[in-house]
Amino acid sequence: MTALRFEDVWFGYGAVPVLEGIGFAVEPGEAVALLGRNGAGKTTLTKLVMALLHPHRGYVWVGDRITQGRTPEQIAARAAYVFQHADQQLFARTVLREVAFAPRQLGLPPHEIEALATDALRRVGLDRVGHEHPYDLPPAQRKLVTLAAALAQQPRVLVLDEPSQGMDAPSIQRVADVIRSLASEGVAVLAVTHDLSLVTEALDRTIVLDGGRIAYDGLSATLVTDATRARQLGLGVPPGVQLSLRLDLPGRPLRLADVAAALRAPEKGGRSAG
Amino acid sequence: MTLGYRPGDGLLHRTHPFTTASLAGAVSVLVFVLPGVLAPWGLVAGLCVLAAVSGLLPVLGTAAAFSAPFWGFLILIHGVFRDDLGTAVVLAGRISAMLTVFLLLLASVHPGRLVDAMLERGAPFGLAYLFGATLQAVPQLQRRAAAILDAQRCRGLRVRGSLVRRARAVIPLAVPLVLGALAEVDERALALEIRGAGSGARRTPLDPPRDGAVGRLVRWFLLAAVTGAVLWRLLS
Amino acid sequence: MSVHLEQVAFRYPGSGFDALRDLSLEFAPGLVHLVTGRLGSGCSTLLLVIAGLAPHVTGGSRSGSVVTLGLDPGGSGRRDLAGRIGLLLPTPWTQLSGMAYTVAEEVAFGPANLGWNRDRIREAVDGALRLVELERFADRDPRTLSGGELQRVMFAAIVAMDPAVCLLDEPAMELDLETTEMIYQHLPALARERTVIVATTDLDRAVRVADRVVLLDGGSVIGEGNPADVLGTARAVEAGATTSAARIAYLAGIAPTFPLTVSAAVERFSR
Repeated sequence: MTALRFEDVWFGYGAVPVLEGIGFAVEPGEAVALLGRNGAGKTTLTKLVMALLHPHRGYVWVGDRITQGRTPEQIAARAAYVFQHADQQLFARTVLREVAFAPRQLGLPPHEIEALATDALRRVGLDRVGHEHPYDLPPAQRKLVTLAAALAQQPRVLVLDEPSQGMDAPSIQRVADVIRSLASEGVAVLAVTHDLSLVTEALDRTIVLDGGRIAYDGLSATLVTDATRARQLGLGVPPGVQLSLRLDLPGRPLRLADVAAALRAPEKGGRSAG
Repeated sequence: MTLGYRPGDGLLHRTHPFTTASLAGAVSVLVFVLPGVLAPWGLVAGLCVLAAVSGLLPVLGTAAAFSAPFWGFLILIHGVFRDDLGTAVVLAGRISAMLTVFLLLLASVHPGRLVDAMLERGAPFGLAYLFGATLQAVPQLQRRAAAILDAQRCRGLRVRGSLVRRARAVIPLAVPLVLGALAEVDERALALEIRGAGSGARRTPLDPPRDGAVGRLVRWFLLAAVTGAVLWRLLS
Repeated sequence: MSVHLEQVAFRYPGSGFDALRDLSLEFAPGLVHLVTGRLGSGCSTLLLVIAGLAPHVTGGSRSGSVVTLGLDPGGSGRRDLAGRIGLLLPTPWTQLSGMAYTVAEEVAFGPANLGWNRDRIREAVDGALRLVELERFADRDPRTLSGGELQRVMFAAIVAMDPAVCLLDEPAMELDLETTEMIYQHLPALARERTVIVATTDLDRAVRVADRVVLLDGGSVIGEGNPADVLGTARAVEAGATTSAARIAYLAGIAPTFPLTVSAAVERFSR
């Protein structure tokens, strides 16, 4: 069973069409990047996943649940959404209570809630701030708290809206690691992002929206190594990938660490000896 | 259903903010002072005409939506339990009249024009901005509340159902609203300072509120009407 | 020197530690200065101190001396400096005036507060909107704009006041690639007659237009000078503040100074 499916979805605000004939499916364990220029319809698409909006035409399936006729709180049992701005949801007195909110709402037994919350915080590297007040943390850490809160929901589908925005390199790496580990556990991840480096590090498939339609749906690697196509869609090629292509590194590594490893090897191939 | 300013060019939009504010004040007093069960409804009717002429009919819909629960409550308490429909009608009329005139005020007064009008009369920038910001506050809080509701529902918060459940839903909705609003006030203070607010220079009004003889006449008339009604009520 | 800080320390109210410690720095006009460091290192605070907003609006305590355009920005120089220091904050919607229902009105807010005459305001607004390529948005309601469009509008709003010191805190945070390049491309021209100071962790793009870099860590300056000398070091990589190319070079085990751009890295690794 696919984790997430859009079947010929159309949506607009009043007379203004935003999404036209959107169709795609995400399998469990797939990590998908949703790219596109500002205003292309990315956030609207993610809201359709959570039943915050409903399509005018077509259907959205989250696992075995169709969103039609359902509310976000019903979809929350299957899917979690990490909003772009953390402050939209932080309300608890401690980080731990904040992260435990969703499992409690979903009716899980207390001992399980505690375990889930602690584990989620550990995964995002915030195990030491469990007893802090969320608003005492710097903005980037608050974002990580909302990510942990979503993890504690044990979603089968995780939707992220600009997860790396406003973060520095170490925090972005942390987010990439979390996404990769979730995918390996069978969670389907859909991430709206402008950060091509995050795409290269953690999101193997890319869907590009352009003018409300899907302009590309395929491997991130293929898109990211095609500079012309990328430019056409308003995207850039991450520095690590550019380096890999221009130096013609063996195996065409795309991730930062892999590019560095290839450069460390004595045989760098593709260039004249000496 | 948006509360707050609706851009437009109707009669009320072209009216000086002080005149509209005077109207709101006058209506608020007259609904209590004018005699007769139907007096407040007469004012409501007048406001409806004003709304229609000003291209602000949707505001009436909002006013009705907000008033309706009160009507139901009042009819129940006074009409059914106390068998005094007359009181219910008067009270409902007062609520509707005041709600309508204040919603019309919110919808037709551009906060910038209010600030400029106050500055022209010599008000300090801080005070003027406070008034303008208050006009803005409701739609802003509304948008923020909607965003917060979305976020919490996606975490499984149920907002429909028993009274207990709804009561429990208040904290996860109210806290981010208040804290977020406060944090925003801090940041906005920085931005305003940088953009010259309260710099001591005389602010150039971008679209000066036109105050003609008609506007002044209307304000005097309103003052006279209110004073007259109050005096008549006290003396009779 | 348009900005001069001497042994400045600053602490936010209720905080248990200094956000800036014993900081001495200078910023000259005509250059694009880049201030960077990992999150929490003090970059945003530094901009607030230069603008005089910390501690004047934020509260807290500051020691040492801050002189911006020859005056004390948070104290006696406040009135004279009005509108001459521009600061763009990362979150666009909290900077909205709340009094404008068109983009043009929003951009005009600052100049209007400074008491400029209407012709001068109109010229400044038109020029600023042209700079960010949003002329056709002049009559749009700011509340209907996306985060990226709004950030461009706020950038225009700051530029419209023609400040002598331009402080930009993460100016491209909400922007997609093309608009980010557009904003950064304007910075050198903007700096020609002004002092431009950008605080950002997005170094891959910023480094291309930066003339000078200041590296902060824990509120102190740990590096200062031209980009290659500051960002191409192991110290910068370990401080979590450098370009992707430099990080790759560091991990690949070559000796510093690390190349900062892809082109420089290609050249270095082709040898």
